[in-house]
Amino acid sequence: MDFSWDDEQRAFRATVREFLAAHLPRDWESLAHGPGTDWQSTFSKQFCGALAAAGLLVPHWPKRWGGRDADPWTSFILAEEMWEAGEPRGGQYMNVNWIGPTLMRFGCEEQQQRYIPPMAQGQTIWCQGFSEPEAGSDLASLRTRADKEGSTYRINGQKIWTSYAGHADTCFLLARTSPGRNGISIFLLPMDTPGITVRQIPSVIGEGDIHEVFFDDAAVPATAMLGEEGKGWEIVRTALSLERVGIPRFALATRMLHRAVDKLKQTGRFGIGAIEQAARARAACESARFYSYNIVDQRRHGLTVGAEASAARYATVMAERLVSEFVVEHVPEALAGADQMLLSHHQRAIVAGIASGAAEIQLNLIASDFLGLPKEPR
Amino acid sequence: MDFRLTSDQESLVEAVDKLALQFQHKPTEFHGFALVGDELESELRQGEYFDIAQVPEFGPLTAAMAVERLARLPFTAEIALSMLVRPQLPVDLPRPLAVVENGRPGRFVGTAKTLLVIEGERISIARPSADDVESVESLFGYPMGRLKRTIDLERLSDADAYATRKWLRVALAAEMSGLLKAAIDSTVEHLTLRKQFGRPLGTFQALRHRMAECAVLAGGVRWLMLKAAGTADDGDAALAASHAQESATRVAYEVHQMLGAMGMTLEHPLHLWTYRLKALLSELGGRGGQASAVAKLIF
Repeated sequence: MDFSWDDEQRAFRATVREFLAAHLPRDWESLAHGPGTDWQSTFSKQFCGALAAAGLLVPHWPKRWGGRDADPWTSFILAEEMWEAGEPRGGQYMNVNWIGPTLMRFGCEEQQQRYIPPMAQGQTIWCQGFSEPEAGSDLASLRTRADKEGSTYRINGQKIWTSYAGHADTCFLLARTSPGRNGISIFLLPMDTPGITVRQIPSVIGEGDIHEVFFDDAAVPATAMLGEEGKGWEIVRTALSLERVGIPRFALATRMLHRAVDKLKQTGRFGIGAIEQAARARAACESARFYSYNIVDQRRHGLTVGAEASAARYATVMAERLVSEFVVEHVPEALAGADQMLLSHHQRAIVAGIASGAAEIQLNLIASDFLGLPKEPR
Repeated sequence: MDFRLTSDQESLVEAVDKLALQFQHKPTEFHGFALVGDELESELRQGEYFDIAQVPEFGPLTAAMAVERLARLPFTAEIALSMLVRPQLPVDLPRPLAVVENGRPGRFVGTAKTLLVIEGERISIARPSADDVESVESLFGYPMGRLKRTIDLERLSDADAYATRKWLRVALAAEMSGLLKAAIDSTVEHLTLRKQFGRPLGTFQALRHRMAECAVLAGGVRWLMLKAAGTADDGDAALAASHAQESATRVAYEVHQMLGAMGMTLEHPLHLWTYRLKALLSELGGRGGQASAVAKLIF
């Protein structure tokens, strides 16, 4: 067991930091960091293009798709540095973390050729068409239909809380091709398909982030289906396990906690109550860090990751919560325009317990699969 | 970063597991508070387990794994300080060790050959005779004792006191990590077997979620503790002790709620772990003490 970084890992982190220093705009820290804003979406293509040119967008992908087969630590160090900096990749982090790898595993040659190169070049934005008004935590009950007509599927229904839909080129869509859990299929659906309407939902988490997406007889060729018909649920479970520990949220949370503490120290306000809460939050960040590192280590050694991913996610939710609560209580001016980074972090922190499986769903998985408690009757 | 055990660590963990097997059940006739494992102590001594931190292939990290594993037993012995703190002291001192913190009763003080006496920032060494100490009745799952009278103290240098405090924090976190796991495991067993309203308690979401939260806390304590033992960093040690005391406060409450009246009995072993956790909650300044250390060392 070894808790130190090796020379190569240290050098790689330094390279990423140098890249960030050279490529982030000078006023980056004072800009709104919502990953779905118009500005961020445009900037992400410029920034990810430069990352790709430097070999820093998808180093963990296979050589065939523009990577260098780097190990899971490399991609996680990269993700830590990006998230800690305020995620200049915007919504494109999803391509790198799970959409690209899922297409590599389940996509046909034609789908891979069409969709993977633009991701590897940092020039495309995706959205995930998962949640529906009646299907959130109970995702498998989704109702959006895909009805086959010859060599075409007609999509009808509605998705909601869809991130980045306003700027997305393609949707990773879950739709029903027959009843039940084995009736869910995945479609790679171009967002300019006639019959798709996107409406932004104003939200506390930032401009341009979440949307409603309506499908009104949107027609896609059968070749847009990812994997086999009815196998969507299995595919999406794999994808979600990548997503759950894909974002090193603890990295930005830790940085923002230190930033908040520095503000208090500068004004002589780092007193007893704040010290105790800050210590608690800092320990929670470190716990989330090592839960996540454990997943990376397991991937590195080719082990199957189970309920540990849910434990890592829950630890992360608690870290985000404690840091954002600390900021609200001790540096409230941050939410009133005094510090754009702290404000953006606070907006994103709420998302941790909701997105990619609510915290309570993670607790169910931990209870059954990690503690071995008997399952609830259904 | 590489979290696989080395082959040396693996063999040591296996040996400790094997040794622990014979002590893993509370004797049914025992209905007391502190279940002292004299045989456990003697086996550890004979197997030279108290010296593993000094063996280069093992080091403090492996010793911390052993402390954590042995703390899961219903039996207790003075293990953590001997394995993790004694090797770091400036002179070779006899075990068992105990801490006397600001004059209060402490674990194993009645039988310790070496005392670490903490008075504020100062740490001193004392070598008590049998007449200097006495045992104290307590609810805590450890044999508690106190100093009866003033005793000769040899003050550690500031640097040695600083290092000692760090390893005391690692030892605290390692012991608490094992206790948390044992308390949770025991509770999971109860929730799996005990039926109410026609089904196992463990199928009720209100309880499942709370247990899952406890498990996440306990797992976090284990990671922070292992990291602190591995890096020997002062800040890491403070974080580990902080997270341990913070989590234990919550977990001790939750597991007793889950056990209901069964957890109030001395027949069920739960109290052996939870009342040890309670003893450790106040050590080294408690949560406030760890928070001050985190503030000083990390912020």
